[in-house]
Amino acid sequence: MKIKNSKDFWAGLMFIGFGLAFAIIARGDVLGVKLAPGYQMGTSLRMGPAYFPTVLGGMLAALGLVIFVRAFFSTLKGEAVRVHLPFNIVDLAVGAAVFAGLAWASKALYDNADWGMLAASVVLSILAILLRPEARALMLILTSCLAFAYLLKPLGLILSSAILIFISAFGGHEFKLKEVAILSLVLIVFSVLAFVKGLTLPFPIWPAFMD
Amino acid sequence: MDIFANLALGFGVALSPFNLLMCLIGVLLGTLIGVLPGIGPVATIAMLLPITFNLSPIAALIMLAGIYYGAQYGGSTTAILVNLPGEASSVVTCLDGYQMARRGRAGPALATAAIGSFFAGCVATLVVAMFAPPLAEVALKFGPAEYFSLMVLGLVAAVVLAHGSLMKAIAMVILGLLLGLIGTDVNSGVLRFAFGISELADGIGFVVVAMGMFGLAEIVANLEHKGEREVFTTKVKNLWPTRDDWKRIWAPILRGTLLGSALGILPGGGALLASFGAYTLEKKVSRNAKEFGKGAIEGVAAPESANNAGAQTSFIPLLTLGIPSNAVMALMIGAMMIQGIAPGPQVMTERPQLFWGMIASMWLGNLMLVVLNLPLIGMWIKLLTVPYRMLYPSILLFMGIGVFSLSNNPFDVLIMGFFGLIGYICVKLECEPAPMILGFILGPLMEENLRRAMLLSRGDATVFVDPVNKPISFGFLVASAILLVIIALPNIRKKREEVFVEEA
Repeated sequence: MKIKNSKDFWAGLMFIGFGLAFAIIARGDVLGVKLAPGYQMGTSLRMGPAYFPTVLGGMLAALGLVIFVRAFFSTLKGEAVRVHLPFNIVDLAVGAAVFAGLAWASKALYDNADWGMLAASVVLSILAILLRPEARALMLILTSCLAFAYLLKPLGLILSSAILIFISAFGGHEFKLKEVAILSLVLIVFSVLAFVKGLTLPFPIWPAFMD
Repeated sequence: MDIFANLALGFGVALSPFNLLMCLIGVLLGTLIGVLPGIGPVATIAMLLPITFNLSPIAALIMLAGIYYGAQYGGSTTAILVNLPGEASSVVTCLDGYQMARRGRAGPALATAAIGSFFAGCVATLVVAMFAPPLAEVALKFGPAEYFSLMVLGLVAAVVLAHGSLMKAIAMVILGLLLGLIGTDVNSGVLRFAFGISELADGIGFVVVAMGMFGLAEIVANLEHKGEREVFTTKVKNLWPTRDDWKRIWAPILRGTLLGSALGILPGGGALLASFGAYTLEKKVSRNAKEFGKGAIEGVAAPESANNAGAQTSFIPLLTLGIPSNAVMALMIGAMMIQGIAPGPQVMTERPQLFWGMIASMWLGNLMLVVLNLPLIGMWIKLLTVPYRMLYPSILLFMGIGVFSLSNNPFDVLIMGFFGLIGYICVKLECEPAPMILGFILGPLMEENLRRAMLLSRGDATVFVDPVNKPISFGFLVASAILLVIIALPNIRKKREEVFVEEA
């Protein structure tokens, strides 16, 4: 069997995965094998918390299966449809494993998963730049947001904003140091005045160790 | 007449200096962000939502409505000048608007869009004021079964309008419904799908999902397209349409307004359906049909009027039934919930000031668009010349600050990143995110109404399709079924795919 539409192929798998995950977590078992604590199913008269998600999860998985099967037959214009993703399923699995692993490790060591997740996104960004140049924009954009979020409280708005701007700008096609520096300066002044002074958001401006 | 007393009350609220200022700021900010290439109204509203959190409900909703009109108008400006539609509803404006700009007639095209939108806005405001109260009266009689069936109809309609594969759109709706269930179950108090993460107890904020799926995913997608586009900046002189132009646009504006107002009320309708419908209609009836696609001013006037009329009348199902008919309305409903307002027919009777104030501010917002945006057009054009490499870090920073400030917690930003990744993958797999957002908002509401309806019927599921006792619910479900069957028919399916191919 040849895949004629790989967009349908992966979309189908994704929906099957989500559908089964929701249904299994809600019910707690698969054919009698206990996998999760599960929630009360209830009856159609008094629906328990598991009822609606189980039904929906089943529907989603069934639809996913149809879409998946269709991928082997569907020929809208007679030609094969390909996905253009800058990473493959193995990359995605490795990425998820690195992310979860470092988060777990940092939770075990420092009782805080944040640093592990931040470290993981930095590691994955470097890997993307080196090995998957097409995923560079995606990874650096995501990393810039995470870095901003996790560094805002310890480093303050000024430094974390600068970090977000530099990392995200580095994800674009052109990176001009001077231009990015000027942009950072303008945006930081604006953010401090508008958000902290104007809208009185409770953000620290300076790093915690300077106070 | 009641309606005038009501509108007077509304204008009394909307004309207070503070609310006027909020409306003005909303329109300006909406245009400012909406004019940026590749950012549609949904992303604009999602990005700007956090700034309304500290306002009173009335001021917040007035500002949001202003943001919406501004974003819509900003999107048209970009469509005409850069041939880059921010969202599907301005795709048709690109067809003739950009051609007009290439011929040096960008000014009249922009002015026509503004004038058409304003006229449509005036009419649509009246339509909302006239139709909302009777509809709300009907809606007050709705029980849980009717609500459930109505939501089914709304979701089906959203699916019909999604791009591409029907089955993928349905799957996205269901995925949205499921994601909406994350958090504490209101009936049993059980924490669902939270994995022991305390931040998930209240569920995932829809702002976070919307910003990730639309904002982040869009920025990444834009970064991947490298191609430079031609911007017509120097050629915008004579703004005002000529006498000949006026002769050609008045009828299309009128037709577009009427069609748009009607289509906006339908569940699943709104700006997108309206602008497509109006363009197609105009192409059929116009004497200058041959010019369409080559810079016919009718091709700008009709869809621009229609999409503004549709944008506005799609507030009717939201305000009267509490049902969002498209992704933008889903954001509005989310904003109402954040403000502690349960959307539904009771809003009109319990909070008439909010209801009528918002309707009055719709008209004011439209007026501000014309009065402000035409003179400011030079400024918006300057913004278009700012390179994207300077824009997106700024947008990212504001999104980051906005999402972080939701609960002063980095966790929301993490979730936004997660949905950014999901949104990016979905776009690549041709699964449209808009139906998902709708499902996400409706998930808990649907479950709640399903449970109540089943409890009232003593566990009898036929209550939804009982033509004698529940004719309304029966009607909604029959309509949903008919809609699904119609678009699944081979002929229609082919046509539908053609329409969306043409658009892409």
